[in-house]
Amino acid sequence: MNISRTLLATLLIALACMDIPSIASGDAQPESGAHPATTAPTTATSDPATTAPTTATSDPAATTNSASTYSADSLYNLGNAYARAGKPGLAVLNYERARLLTSYDPDIEANLRFVRDSAKVPTDPQSAFERTVRIASPTTLAWSGLTGLLLAGILWVAGGAATKHRGVRRGGIAIGIALMGLTVCNGMVLWPTLHAAVILTAATPARVSPAPMGDPVFTLPEAETVSMKAEHEGFVLVQTRTGKTGWVADANLAPVVPRY
Amino acid sequence: MSRASTIVLTILIACIVAAAPAMALAPLVNATLEPRQISMGESAQLTITGTGSEMDALTLPVVAGLDFRVIGQSRRLEIINGATLSSTSVILRVTPQTAGIFTIPGITPKSQPLVLRVNPDNGSGSASQSNNPYSASPPGALSGSSTGNSSAGGIRLTANGAAFIRMNLPKRDVYVGESIPVDIEVGLRSGFVTSLNGLPTLTGTDFTLNNLSHKPERVEKLIDGQPFTVLTWHSVLAPVKPGTFNLSVESPLTIRVRTRPARDSMIDDLLGDPFMQNFFGATVPKDITVASPPAELKVVALPTEGRPADFSGAVGTFKIASDVSAPTAAVGDPLTLRLHVTGSGNFDRVDTPMLEHVDHWKTYPPKSSFTQGDTVGYKGEKTFEQPVIASQPGTQTLPALTFSYFDPTTQRYETARSTPPAVTIAPALADSAPPVPATTTATANANGPGVSPAPPPSGLRPDHAITSDGTPSWLPQSLVFWAPHSLIPLYLRSPFLIVQSLLAVAFAGGWFGLRRRAFAAATPGMPLKRPSKASAKLLQQLHAAARASDSTAFFTVARDALRQSLAARWGIAAETLAPEEWSARLQGHDDGDELRELFTLADEATYAGHGMTSTDFDRWTQVVRRQLLGDKA
Repeated sequence: MNISRTLLATLLIALACMDIPSIASGDAQPESGAHPATTAPTTATSDPATTAPTTATSDPAATTNSASTYSADSLYNLGNAYARAGKPGLAVLNYERARLLTSYDPDIEANLRFVRDSAKVPTDPQSAFERTVRIASPTTLAWSGLTGLLLAGILWVAGGAATKHRGVRRGGIAIGIALMGLTVCNGMVLWPTLHAAVILTAATPARVSPAPMGDPVFTLPEAETVSMKAEHEGFVLVQTRTGKTGWVADANLAPVVPRY
Repeated sequence: MSRASTIVLTILIACIVAAAPAMALAPLVNATLEPRQISMGESAQLTITGTGSEMDALTLPVVAGLDFRVIGQSRRLEIINGATLSSTSVILRVTPQTAGIFTIPGITPKSQPLVLRVNPDNGSGSASQSNNPYSASPPGALSGSSTGNSSAGGIRLTANGAAFIRMNLPKRDVYVGESIPVDIEVGLRSGFVTSLNGLPTLTGTDFTLNNLSHKPERVEKLIDGQPFTVLTWHSVLAPVKPGTFNLSVESPLTIRVRTRPARDSMIDDLLGDPFMQNFFGATVPKDITVASPPAELKVVALPTEGRPADFSGAVGTFKIASDVSAPTAAVGDPLTLRLHVTGSGNFDRVDTPMLEHVDHWKTYPPKSSFTQGDTVGYKGEKTFEQPVIASQPGTQTLPALTFSYFDPTTQRYETARSTPPAVTIAPALADSAPPVPATTTATANANGPGVSPAPPPSGLRPDHAITSDGTPSWLPQSLVFWAPHSLIPLYLRSPFLIVQSLLAVAFAGGWFGLRRRAFAAATPGMPLKRPSKASAKLLQQLHAAARASDSTAFFTVARDALRQSLAARWGIAAETLAPEEWSARLQGHDDGDELRELFTLADEATYAGHGMTSTDFDRWTQVVRRQLLGDKA
């Protein structure tokens, strides 16, 4: 059947587009250009609470371990280490990064709230919807969404060729759409965090123009999370939760998702 | 009145009348000179007062280097205890021709001589350097005579002595680009000038007048006994090209001019006060421009010899100093390097690029700000602020800053050099490791991976045990190729989005194909494929031949179309196949019988024609259409 062959070919092409080649060659790397200490990718079996701070001062090139990956637990422990060291900015940064890799974790949320409260930075309460759509990690939700797409798509196409088991097909399509919807909602919830940055220095001036001589319009406390709107020659246009915008030197903040 | 009283009164009157000539017999003459010390270009006032109703013909004194001119006369009558005392005063203006000490001999043989000290003109002409710098008015000028303008030194009064304008220059030899502070004074005689219609301006274009103060200083002064309002503007003069120039300033104003003829000037002199003249209708308003006497200024070009490469055109006397906003900073922290240039000169030309390329430092263009030390910006402090960012930790010394200028005092170029500032740069905040408690590290290392470290401080929840990288434990590691190498969720990465898009397109295409096939099955005659342009053209020709009942044309078109279609399907050229080969190849074709019959009918129609009904045309049209479009209906 032509359609079956087409679907099979599409699936094969899709799999070929994924990370299989890079896995085979073993050259998967974290984003270059990120702060080695703030990204601190660690091996899966190491304890970041002890290894990450010590590797942080090492050569940045050495930290781009070819076999390293991110880990929510590692980032969470790294955030704890920075919190104990009295660096709320770096602690919040690592907590925010950990949140991108895992499902709703009460420990991360509690420590994030604690550090922000200690730094006198307001915390937005988490809604029930946000907790619901973060029922699983984004990776798990990505695969479940893909599964939902396959399930709904196959049953939908099959419905055009066969007339039996219509109720089963409709139920399967609904489940597939629900899985995809869950993935989309998870992306919507995490989207602001993907474009956020954390202020790392106390009383960081936000300037009216992207230049060191620009007049400050307001100051940002350490551990404040802002959204990034634009970049220009070492400065980032940020927007606070209250809507104020200003240019901050990129040395004073770190994006939650390291820049390539 | 009794007879005795009448006699006494008569005697008293007789005594008074008899005594009066006796008092007038010996008239006294007194002379006063004010002031006793003046500068060149100024005048003093000599007043000769004589008692009595009449003064003998006055002989003007003659002193070499002094010019005496009568500018007025007054008479006074006093009655004291019944005695009548009269005096007459003659006012003379004494104008020196040269500087020096002059002795004015006594007016009478018994009177004392007067001494006048005349200082050389220093050019400033400020009121503080002379007691009466404005006494250079011509005879009758202040009293309203129409003898024309007068000029002496820095003062030129208008025709009726109502106003003057004067520019005080501190020096006459200057350099191109040099700033020269000047004071422009406009004297307005009270009551004679009704309005000042503009700011003072230069008469030529060889100079620019910068930073002219909008609000002048206002001083009330008596000049030659006449009240004047003196307005003083401060400004900076800047020559734009070398040469010798006559510089003058002017200012528009409205004055009151007399309407009486010149011969009646004595009446105005008697009226004196402008209020009195106005009262008698002697003046009318008139717009004039008062100009200062030209002052010669020699402008010299800056020397080219010894000119530093970084010379920006600054001329004056300057000093520099530099500092850094903070002695310590971290890598990536912006610091501000400041250069302070203080002194006097043309600060608008004071400029410096500061630091441009420094190893281990990122520099930005500087910005400058100027703080005036006076009203015109001739003195002050210009501060340059340059943001710099260190890229390497350690104790680093920034290069010394230099500033080059031309000093008109020493008449040579000078290069000032600041002290190199030292800064201690710490590692970047993001690179600095948090001090992990030793116990935590030791415990964790001792326990090894997978074991929770020491309990956290109060408020923080404990660390998580690291058992895996977060992937499900039931999955073989060989299949975990989506491990998080990036913080971006997997569903937002490009490969994953491409997969989902391809799948969605494939599903949509499959569904559409199935629906179309089902629709075609439910609708006989419905083509599954849109005919190409060539096929559509052939079908149109078939329909046209059918409508015309032209079987010859119909079969010719049908045969050619089928041969082309079948040959293309077989991958050969239609012209290369003989009729026998057509028959052989059509043996295995699904519609081979129909096609062979069509070819036979086409041959018959070509040579003998063939009678066909509309049903026959429809049948063969469907056969051709099915072959061209692949219709199965």
